[in-house]
Amino acid sequence: MVDLPKKKVGIVACSGEELAEGTVTRLAALKVLEQQRPNQTVTICLPLFMAGGEGDRAFARFYPTIAVDGCDQRCAARATELYSGKPAASLVVSDLVTENRLEKAQGLRQLNKAGQQAVDITAERIAERVDELLGKPWDRRTGEFIDRERETEAEPEEAKQATCSCGSGIPVQEIQIDGQAVTIVALPLIFAKLLADGKTPSNGAERELLELVKIYNPIPNGTEEIYAVALLREYQAYCQQQGVSA
Amino acid sequence: MSENMRRIDMQKVVIVPCSGIGKTYGSVSREAAYDLIEDLRPDTTQLVPLSLLVLGDEAARKAVESTPAITIDGCKLACATKMVQENGGNVAQDYAVLDVYRRYRQFKPQGIATLNEGGEMLAHALAEEAAQVVDRLIEGEDENG
Repeated sequence: MVDLPKKKVGIVACSGEELAEGTVTRLAALKVLEQQRPNQTVTICLPLFMAGGEGDRAFARFYPTIAVDGCDQRCAARATELYSGKPAASLVVSDLVTENRLEKAQGLRQLNKAGQQAVDITAERIAERVDELLGKPWDRRTGEFIDRERETEAEPEEAKQATCSCGSGIPVQEIQIDGQAVTIVALPLIFAKLLADGKTPSNGAERELLELVKIYNPIPNGTEEIYAVALLREYQAYCQQQGVSA
Repeated sequence: MSENMRRIDMQKVVIVPCSGIGKTYGSVSREAAYDLIEDLRPDTTQLVPLSLLVLGDEAARKAVESTPAITIDGCKLACATKMVQENGGNVAQDYAVLDVYRRYRQFKPQGIATLNEGGEMLAHALAEEAAQVVDRLIEGEDENG
């Protein structure tokens, strides 16, 4: 996988407007995004998988994603899998309510007490999944990551506001392949990674470039060589733009 | 028919807010929809969840196919409007929260999980405008029998 500027976990809430449990998913996701794991999580609006671009649809392939649903229809999990990628984890609020023997959540705009409890429990469960997915244990006693030193050294403090991927998604680049304009998901990141690794077009980047592109983009059978040539050409142009001789 | 859509009434105007979760305007769209369906026009409007439209849920599709819809979008990507159209619906009126805010600059929205007073006022102003559209749509239906 390409190393993104920062490894994060994606959270996709169903936000079901019709059910109190939908409000629970939204508020629980926001609690994690804004308060509990602001530097480790990112979100995207579910409909963007259809209404957005290729970069939006690449969301769950880039970020290990937790789908948070209000009911057993599991719209978030199903839509994420259908349009983006299989979620790394899936939570259903109604299951958590049953499991924790809570009363039914009520109130679409203003949740009742049971709904607020469901928000807390769901947020806690999401945060646990985030930690599992990042492979970094959370110390409940201190309220910090155990590897705190490396964490703060690597990343400056970010604003505690939900990080939304709406409209930005994953960077894409359109290139010409065999006379056709083709959108390649993550190409700017792949180029940046190769260059950072010291791989120039003339010293063996071609194969790795193609392999990385194949992770995020379908390449039709029998066209690998054509793709490889086009990608290498674009990488040469990128290197020149960066002032690196090919 | 899906569990969430049991209350679908083919005579009511469909309201579809966006599911915006990362921006204030998404919260305004949601609040405006609730203002409309719970307070201002509970008898003549119904909410259709966007997530069901994303999945092409049959009951949700039927709802937007058979009644005019009012969409409320939090950003220029206009997910709610696009999803209604993709599902064969007729968007009678589409609102973009930013455009509405330009008409009510005194109501500056802030907050996502909890809207500030400005956000609530903006949502209410939007809902009031939409309520007039609902009335016209219902009157039109009555006139046409």
